[in-house]
Amino acid sequence: RKEPSGLGIDEEVEVKKRVTVPRVKLDEARLLSENGIPKLRKRAKHLHLKGKGHEWSDASKLLSFYQIWLDDLFPKAKFLDALGMVEKAGHKTAMHKARMDWIDEGKPKDKTFD
Amino acid sequence: MESEDINRDVVHPEVRAHINSLVSALGGFSADDDGKYTLGDDALECLRDMRRWIRFYDEKTNRMDVARCIADANLVGGDLLHIIALWTENCSDSKFKARIALACYEVMVPLTWPIERNRDQMTINHHRHIPVLQLAQLGYKRAIINFDGAPILHTAVRVALPSMAMPIGERTPRDQGIIKLMLFFLRNIAMIAPPHGVKYEGDESQISRSATIDAFSYQDIFLTLLTIASNMGEDFRTEDVTVMEIIFHIVKRVDVKKLFLEEQQLNKAKADELSAAMEKEAAMLRSYKKTAPKRHNRFGTMIWVKRENGKMTSLSGQDALIDSATRELKMDRSKTFRPPKRSRKEEMEPKDLGPPVSLNHRANEQLRGFVEEFLDSGFNPLFQHVRKSIDREAAHVLDYHRSQFFYLVAWFLEAERMRRKAKKGKKPTEISPDDVSSFNLVASVLNQEMFITLNRWLDRAYNDKDWPDLVAVMKAYTQILLTVQEMSDSGNEEDEEIADNILNRLFYEEATHDAVANIVRTYKDQGFEYLDACTDLTHTYLRILEAYSKQNVDLTVRSRKRTRSKKKAATAAISNEDGEGPDNMDDDSANDEANAERTSKERKFDFKRFALRFATQGVVDTFVKYTKYYQDLDESQLKRAHRYFYRVCFKHEMSVMLFRVDIIHLFYNMIKGPEPLDKNNSMYKEWEELVKQIIRKCVKKLEERPALITELLFSKINSTAHYLEYGYEKQTISSN
Repeated sequence: RKEPSGLGIDEEVEVKKRVTVPRVKLDEARLLSENGIPKLRKRAKHLHLKGKGHEWSDASKLLSFYQIWLDDLFPKAKFLDALGMVEKAGHKTAMHKARMDWIDEGKPKDKTFD
Repeated sequence: MESEDINRDVVHPEVRAHINSLVSALGGFSADDDGKYTLGDDALECLRDMRRWIRFYDEKTNRMDVARCIADANLVGGDLLHIIALWTENCSDSKFKARIALACYEVMVPLTWPIERNRDQMTINHHRHIPVLQLAQLGYKRAIINFDGAPILHTAVRVALPSMAMPIGERTPRDQGIIKLMLFFLRNIAMIAPPHGVKYEGDESQISRSATIDAFSYQDIFLTLLTIASNMGEDFRTEDVTVMEIIFHIVKRVDVKKLFLEEQQLNKAKADELSAAMEKEAAMLRSYKKTAPKRHNRFGTMIWVKRENGKMTSLSGQDALIDSATRELKMDRSKTFRPPKRSRKEEMEPKDLGPPVSLNHRANEQLRGFVEEFLDSGFNPLFQHVRKSIDREAAHVLDYHRSQFFYLVAWFLEAERMRRKAKKGKKPTEISPDDVSSFNLVASVLNQEMFITLNRWLDRAYNDKDWPDLVAVMKAYTQILLTVQEMSDSGNEEDEEIADNILNRLFYEEATHDAVANIVRTYKDQGFEYLDACTDLTHTYLRILEAYSKQNVDLTVRSRKRTRSKKKAATAAISNEDGEGPDNMDDDSANDEANAERTSKERKFDFKRFALRFATQGVVDTFVKYTKYYQDLDESQLKRAHRYFYRVCFKHEMSVMLFRVDIIHLFYNMIKGPEPLDKNNSMYKEWEELVKQIIRKCVKKLEERPALITELLFSKINSTAHYLEYGYEKQTISSN
């Protein structure tokens, strides 16, 4: 069953290219998608912070608000890591534009005309 | 001879044989004559041969075989020290013995020479021998400073004494070589320390810094150093950096604050330290206990957390029942994914300087004596000379001397300030005549040339990315600033005037402002020490500059012109500034009085603009990274970070810069998180208040501008930050 040379050295070895599943990333596309920042903005309407006198509970509420949103959006990363990724994605052009738009939405109408 | 049959030796057998025969020919303990050491007939020639072996076999061919053989043969402890002991004080005039002693030192200096790794020419031999040799060097050091038969260090000085006594013009190259040899010997002994990551197996107290200082003091080495240092420039010239090196290795990493405490204060400080550490540990355990399970670990609690639109998350463990924050923390901790590019783990300990040293009481006393005398007599001549050598890039100055120089300047300036403080505590009224001289003692590092050097190396180190160097320069800068500040508060008119002049020159250079702001802005994993140094410099710089800009009306016209042209350019660049700036600057043709008045005003205005540079995202990030070490920072360091954030948030009204989720997360966790700052820490209250105010402001801003909810995730750009901070109501705010 074996060739005389025996060891199979002469046979050509085929190098198969392994197809790896692309890694899921927390990039600007994901952030701008339905589940991304639009959802955050939607949810923010239900975020009621109490203001003066309730600083600690407010901060904890705020943090858990972001944490749950990030956990839904990108479940595999830890909170602080995910925050870092989001921050990094924020420097991309598309994100930049979107950020400016969100800010402009908040500006009063008369300011946008002049 | 079985051991020779099995040829497993790491060095060439012939080399070993040669060295062994040389060592045995050197001499030995005689059987009669109550075991005294007796010299061999050709001892001097043997020593010379040994030196030749080292030079022509080891150094020429870049091996370490001879050094290894000598280490194995116990030459230093077994022979050389005993030979040196033969040259006692009362046979000083014996030429032969003096020559033999010199030959011994000539062998010992290369043996104790610091071994450098990471050099290009390292061979397999180096990797084989270095670990053994490093331990052998520790053995040499132990043997030398603890030798009972004779003061070895003192004898080294005795060897060089005839050459030193000669005026510098009459010294032959051989004399100079002998002086060098002696200094290098002292340097090597001071420098040898257990290598990084290796635990010394013997009695550590025999090679510790305390033992070294004790030996140096007992054998009058400190006196020698003082003599050479105070005569630097007259009788000694090229020895400057070597003397500096010895001092560096003696004082590096010694805590200046503890040095000037009296015994009782020191004991109290140490006791306080211990109780603080225990308290810290207790607080840490308490914080763990809060979430610790109340029942055994197989109790098997499991809960569901309801999420939006019917999603559920399951969690196990009783601590999940405590509150939602703990649940979220648990959910987060169960994740194992790490982002692909994570930076190297940053370490708190600086590697090149070694761990911080703690001195015993005796060594503390001795070192303090030396430091005081050095400040009184040797500081100015030595450091001025070294500075000049560095400036002209003299051949004998090596690269690492520079950072040692800056390190020592910083160290001694701090020591001088501590000494003044200690003095003040003792007798508050008497010292006013001493005061004048006190700043004179360190005057050589406060002159204009020093600032030029400092600025140049600040620039160069930054551009060459030479971080250890930059750290040393920044430390020196900080200490100089603090000294000058103390000088200007000294109450002595002359000193105040000088200090004022120095500050004037210092802050006149816009280039320095840029450099400081740049350094702290561009921090990126250079290590904790760098972080500490650059935040300290920023803090000090800002504080002193602010105080100075407030009080000064009499700034030079030239400076005013300069700032104005600069500012014009700046306002042209930042066109969105409000109308105040241009108005202020337009009329140039005012009289002197008005000019002077406006100068100081402009200064203040200038300061605001200058300070705004420290409110950018890069600087904030650096300080945030620094604050992340809050568990390990001491009070002054916490204070520094606190003041900075306070400044950003409330003085410069750029609080938006701090409104980012990770920063809020850090701040919140510092106070209320699972591992908070210790409540007994004196800075705790201030931090609590600050964090509270920041959060309050953040919540308020969120209501004012809903867009912040997304911007909270990102770093802000200056333009958007300005909008978010002031919004459309900017005009009314600024008119208030």
